[in-house]
Amino acid sequence: MDSALIPEGAKRCSFPKFAIGIAVVGAVLLWGVFAMLLCWIKGLNQTNMNDYYGFALWIWADLAIIAIGGGAFFTGLLKYLFGIDELKNIINFAVIIGFICYSSALLILAIDIGQPLRGWFIFWHANVHSMLTEVAFCLSCYFAVLTIEFIPNILENPKLDKVPFFHNLSHNMHGVMAIFAATGAFLSFFHQGSLGGVAGVLYGRPFAFREGLLIWPWTFFLFTFSAAAYGPTFTILVTKITEAVTRKKLVKENVINLLAKISGWMITIYIIAKIIDTIYWAVSTAPEMGFTFMDFYSNNPVYGVSILFAEIVIGGIVPGLLLIFKQTRENPRLRLIAMILAVFGVCLNRWVMVLQVMAVPVMTFDQWAMYIPSWQEVATTILPVAYGIILIALCYRYLPVFPQEQELYAGNEQGAES
Amino acid sequence: MKVDRRCFLGLGLGVVAGAVVSPPGAKLTDDLAIWTQNWPWTPVPKDGKVTYEKTTCSLCKGNCGISVRKVGGRPVHISGQEGHPVSDGGACLHGISGLQYLYGLTRINAPLKRNGDTFEKISWKEAVSHVADRLNTMRENGDADKLACITGKERGSIPELFKRFMKVYGSPHYYSMSDMNTTWRTVAETMHGVNADMGFDFENATHILSFGSGLLEGWGSPVNNFRINAGRKDKGGKLVQVEPRLSNTAACADRWVPALPGSEADLALAVCSVIMKEELYDASYLASYNTGFSAFTRLVASTYTPEKMESRTGVSASDIKSLAREFAKADKPLAVAGKGRGENAGDLREFAAVHALNCLVGNINSKGGVWLNKALEYLKFPEEKMDADAEKGLEKEPEPSVASLVEKIAESDSSQIQALLLEEANICYTMHDVDRVKKALEKVPFKVSFSSFMDETAKAADIILPAHTFLERYEDLPSDPTMSIQVVGLSVPVQKPLKETLNPGDAVIRIAKAMKGVIAENFPWKKYEDCLESGTGKLWDALSDKGYAVVSDKAPAKSVNADLSFFSVNNGKVLEIAGDRAEYPFTLVPYDNMRITSSEVVSSPFAVKTVSDEEIKGKDSFAQMNPETARKLGVSQGDRVKINTPAGSATVRVQVFEGVMPGLIGMPRGLGHTVDNPYVARKGVNTNQLISASIDPNTGQDAAFGINAKISRV
Amino acid sequence: MSKQNTHGKTYKFGMVIDLDKCTGCGSCMVACMSENNVPFKEDETDKKDSIAWMRVYKLTNGKSFPETEICYLPRPCMQCGGKGDHGHSPCVSVCPAVATDYGHDTGVVSQIPVRCFGCRYCMAACPYHARYFNWWDPKWPGEMEKYLSPDVSPRMRGVVEKCSFCYHRYQAARDKAYYEHREEIHEDEYQTACTEACPAGAITFGDLHNPSHKVHQLVKPDPHHSGRPRNPKAFRLLERLETNPKVYYISEKEWVRKAGDNYLEGEWKKMNKKHG
Ligand SMILES: Nc1nc2c(c(=O)[nH]1)N[C@H]1C(S)=C(S)[C@@H](COP(=O)(O)OP(=O)(O)OC[C@H]3O[C@@H](n4cnc5c(=O)[nH]c(N)nc54)[C@H](O)[C@@H]3O)O[C@H]1N2
Ligand SMILES: Nc1nc2c(c(=O)[nH]1)N[C@H]1C(S)=C(S)[C@@H](COP(=O)(O)OP(=O)(O)OC[C@H]3O[C@@H](n4cnc5c(=O)[nH]c(N)nc54)[C@H](O)[C@@H]3O)O[C@H]1N2
Ligand code: SF4
Ligand code: SF4
Ligand code: SF4
Ligand code: SF4
Ligand code: SF4
Repeated sequence: MDSALIPEGAKRCSFPKFAIGIAVVGAVLLWGVFAMLLCWIKGLNQTNMNDYYGFALWIWADLAIIAIGGGAFFTGLLKYLFGIDELKNIINFAVIIGFICYSSALLILAIDIGQPLRGWFIFWHANVHSMLTEVAFCLSCYFAVLTIEFIPNILENPKLDKVPFFHNLSHNMHGVMAIFAATGAFLSFFHQGSLGGVAGVLYGRPFAFREGLLIWPWTFFLFTFSAAAYGPTFTILVTKITEAVTRKKLVKENVINLLAKISGWMITIYIIAKIIDTIYWAVSTAPEMGFTFMDFYSNNPVYGVSILFAEIVIGGIVPGLLLIFKQTRENPRLRLIAMILAVFGVCLNRWVMVLQVMAVPVMTFDQWAMYIPSWQEVATTILPVAYGIILIALCYRYLPVFPQEQELYAGNEQGAES
Repeated sequence: MKVDRRCFLGLGLGVVAGAVVSPPGAKLTDDLAIWTQNWPWTPVPKDGKVTYEKTTCSLCKGNCGISVRKVGGRPVHISGQEGHPVSDGGACLHGISGLQYLYGLTRINAPLKRNGDTFEKISWKEAVSHVADRLNTMRENGDADKLACITGKERGSIPELFKRFMKVYGSPHYYSMSDMNTTWRTVAETMHGVNADMGFDFENATHILSFGSGLLEGWGSPVNNFRINAGRKDKGGKLVQVEPRLSNTAACADRWVPALPGSEADLALAVCSVIMKEELYDASYLASYNTGFSAFTRLVASTYTPEKMESRTGVSASDIKSLAREFAKADKPLAVAGKGRGENAGDLREFAAVHALNCLVGNINSKGGVWLNKALEYLKFPEEKMDADAEKGLEKEPEPSVASLVEKIAESDSSQIQALLLEEANICYTMHDVDRVKKALEKVPFKVSFSSFMDETAKAADIILPAHTFLERYEDLPSDPTMSIQVVGLSVPVQKPLKETLNPGDAVIRIAKAMKGVIAENFPWKKYEDCLESGTGKLWDALSDKGYAVVSDKAPAKSVNADLSFFSVNNGKVLEIAGDRAEYPFTLVPYDNMRITSSEVVSSPFAVKTVSDEEIKGKDSFAQMNPETARKLGVSQGDRVKINTPAGSATVRVQVFEGVMPGLIGMPRGLGHTVDNPYVARKGVNTNQLISASIDPNTGQDAAFGINAKISRV
Repeated sequence: MSKQNTHGKTYKFGMVIDLDKCTGCGSCMVACMSENNVPFKEDETDKKDSIAWMRVYKLTNGKSFPETEICYLPRPCMQCGGKGDHGHSPCVSVCPAVATDYGHDTGVVSQIPVRCFGCRYCMAACPYHARYFNWWDPKWPGEMEKYLSPDVSPRMRGVVEKCSFCYHRYQAARDKAYYEHREEIHEDEYQTACTEACPAGAITFGDLHNPSHKVHQLVKPDPHHSGRPRNPKAFRLLERLETNPKVYYISEKEWVRKAGDNYLEGEWKKMNKKHG
């Protein structure tokens, strides 16, 4: 039915099957869209956010998405600037994931702000001192870059590729992609960093506040570094999930392992930095403001030191080490565990840097604030996930995303899903 | 280049993106933002010329001077009036919320007549003749004494007009709501043999010993007391607060002495015994002006020694002694009683015992002491003309208090009271055992309410003659009797009446004029304002000029006798609160919170907004208890518990508070209204539902300060 | 943070609240609501979404009966000067759209609801919880719209609001002085609604730069330390965060002063030795 659109030689499931799959995910998407409309029409009273939790689930989702979407800029950086050519086999997918993450982040921000129709004030009346201004500019610019990076891949769709203009455009864009990748890497570096800066500059919030370099708090660098380190693990994880769903090998092991190895080293270095940062904060920054380390981890039902342990050890040291060592890295099961733990670790870090910041009392007579998201918040947070699945499905079906797919599975049995 | 569907879509998207950054797109984007800045559903208040008008607040008996800021003739903000003798620039949160009363959601728009379960709107003419016809018929049937009238206030020309109406009509049943001043007047009569108001010169006292008086909770004239307290802090005066719960007054005091609830009289007498024993009293004063001194000395020396009173009061003998010494040795000591805001009558024995302290230190009618002020008598109305029916009706004895009147109605089979006039008296909310009050009222076949708002009592009325709010009317407002100085304030309209309402004074005049016999003749005024102007006589010039008149600001002559024989005679008559301790092991004591009104006036939305989430949470209110009490009950902060008392039961949440005596349960007064205003009503429990009346055997007044209670988890 | 019109007189407006006098009566809260058109909802018992530019906190000394003490602490916006008192208030420095700004001529932190797009970053930045978001469209039931003051625009849903030190009163005083050809406004010409309302006289307001003003005399701000109080009984909330508030508190009670900030064990004694 849609065979003309499917890349030549690729085996895809039947259209009705595909359509049903999309419809199921689409229903979830519609649920999210409904919640989103509620928030826009009725206002943010639809959420369980409050004056203590001005930043909540969405901002966490935003930060987490951006962090794990970091695979795009980092893989791009490695391929185009450091010339690690094997990565060309996964770069398309990394870009798609990045595109999904960044477009989702923009959407979430558009729902999160109280006056979406005035959202552009952030550009028009920009306050250059605000980390959020930096976030907005970098986010938008990098999204534009990701779109540009994504376009050649779209144009490779067999039908589009037949249009000579698109064919040529696509070809020429590939030629200049290194420039975009470099720009993207630069923008994303600042974007990831400024997201870290969002919490780190809050000198009224001792739990979040960090000293730093020039105008940038340490969290600025930690966020950039962690996104670079953890981002590829998510790219690999999604690749693996896609492989599992399609029951096809899409990317060669050596490519995966290379990326995993780089990621493992990066995570390990990051986590050392994070530990140093935490210790310095615990023994110097916070006590200068009158807080002991345990003030941030006691007297409340949720945030104990176990959170810190989970983030640093389970979500940091463990995956880092698993990916450094060849034996564990090349063991598919352990590698998968490492990927899952890593993604968990970086998401937990973002949770802590948003939600725990809001929870900790600063005035001595204030109390820990707890928060449970409303269904509208959950639905709008799942919305990008559903959207991502659909976009990946569409891309996988209609675009030559994985250059190695045919080589790997030429003549193999037919894939099931998608 | 062939343009297929997909390509077209792509181009379309590009066009949209381009449109946004194109000039018309940018304009639209900008217009949308501007639209959000001018949403038609976000009000834009009208501007205009700014003016200020002075008037007097009468939301409570404080009668503070207030200033109303108007913009283009529209009142927008209320603040205190600088230099006013009562409040000097201050105003409390209720007064400041005044405009939320003016535009109140439960305001009654026009006269109403009951029709089954609902009301129907009628004209003033119909309303007046309806009431007058009914009262005329009763009187013709010889039932003049079956009309009763309750006003909230007791003084001023409006209550005076009601009182006059009742007299010439021929009914003895005119009442005003009792409060601590009712008891203070009995103290003045019993201990000094004078008919006087007792004023307290806190301003000049250097040591105030307060037996639970909520001087910062709204006692007496609230703002006046706030200002005096601040002045005391500046001057270094001391305040000692005796109270089983850490109230705001106790928190601001220099010393807090938690004594068992209901033991205040014994504690005061124990303090007296120390003063006597150590001869710390004012011998020169007592030498010339006393009765019953030696009997009193013997009584306190034998019965009320600090040691004997230790367990009764929960205060150690050494603390009692130090209380006595600090008090008696102070330069200008002053003792005061009247629990909380003093909105209920007090226990005479307790008031007298506390006042005995004042007598012992000889502060009567002196600077910093208690002033026996002659009751204000500035109103001059023409002598009443009485007819035979009136004379006959007045031969009947009135009840001692509204509580006994209600009791009488509740007890009687064929109603003793056939018609009831209710002005500024929301007795279906404010009286103890309020469910019993409501049932009693059902027996009265004709009830007339003069309320501005559809409060609990107006809802039960048969006819409502709605009054102007305080911001729309004239009224003379005598200051609270507990103030040392005596001031009359004038309320003037700052806003033309918004509804079809009348000044209650005008309503009475109109009813009287529609009555037969001498009644109409007794109300010669065309309108209330004439009555006010002629009635206030000499004071009118000052009133109309400044908005207030200071009637007296000096201590009366000191030569007044102190009679201490009350205790030797009445020692046995002790007030008991309801509930057997074996069955009801806890003591429930409602407390006053400045931010919640508990009078006939319902708190405003603003005021309710300020109430802590440990007092109201959603629809629940809280019961305060000591952590030890909570531990015993196995409950913790926020848990729901059921409180049972002999009067009723209610479900509340637990507030664990260190500042409340173990075994004591504190609940805020003024919650649980059932009026139709979701912003202020149906939040929490009306404590009056849980408290039964405790009649003081010495006065016949309901002086319940609490009740014994039991608590169970739910 | 942008430089504002600085010709003419500059001030540093501040507030001093005597906690020993404060009775917790709530007049300041209501005066503020009335003055500044603050809306109300049916249920205001969730204090985490209840707009109160002035909020009165209840502090306890944590001791058990009968040693318990309580103290009320009114909290308007602290009008933070930020680190070094240069106007980089926690909130101003983070607002991406300059919808809240530092007035270098007054020391007042403005809030422009029509500029604000509701990102709530400023709320995350403010440790005093002085900022409130309009989660709902404000509603004045019945005829209550009629009492709204034209001096302060009602805010729409989706934006942040906070105490402005009743800035419109400053503007009115400034205009009056201008008409009367005066450089400077008098102390009594600009007083906030809460100051005016407090029946206990616990709040004092004025120019912290002006030694003849009561606020200056009460706290004796130290110009070399960003206005830190030199009166040992005076303190600012969370002084150690270097937010440099312009709201000061005074109390004779040590536990109250200690509750104003966080201290490590033993630190309070060490830091307060000099004051005895
Ligand atoms: N404090 C404060 N300062 C402000 C502003 C503010 O709101 N507050 N607003 C700013 C803004 S937006 C503006 S536009 C400026 C305006 O600032 P200015 O341009 O200084 O404005 P005006 O004082 O209105 O007018 C200037 C002079 O022009 C004279 N004039 C009138 N008609 C004529 C004419 O036909 N020919 C000539 N030659 N002179 C004429 C007037 O008498 C007056 O003396 O002020 C800015 N400065
Ligand atoms: N009688 C008289 N009238 C005059 C003049 C005069 O000299 N005399 N001068 C004229 C001149 S020159 C001018 S420029 C005008 C100025 O007149 P207006 O434009 O009315 O001037 P402002 O009072 O400065 O600003 C209006 C409001 O905008 C708010 N505001 C600040 N930032 C923003 C934003 O980003 N978005 C929105 N929507 N609002 C914001 C401010 O808080 C303020 O309340 O007055 C004109 N009218
Ligand atoms: S104390 Fe009473 S009279 Fe004074 S402002 Fe408050 S309500 Fe009005
Ligand atoms: S108190 Fe909060 S809102 Fe006010 S200036 Fe300081 S940081 Fe900003
Ligand atoms: S919520 Fe408004 S004032 Fe606060 S940071 Fe965002 S734009 Fe600025
Ligand atoms: S200064 Fe004005 S805006 Fe601020 S709390 Fe006081 S009354 Fe409200
Ligand atoms: S008005 Fe004054 S006394 Fe009342 S709570 Fe506010 S600051 Fe305290």
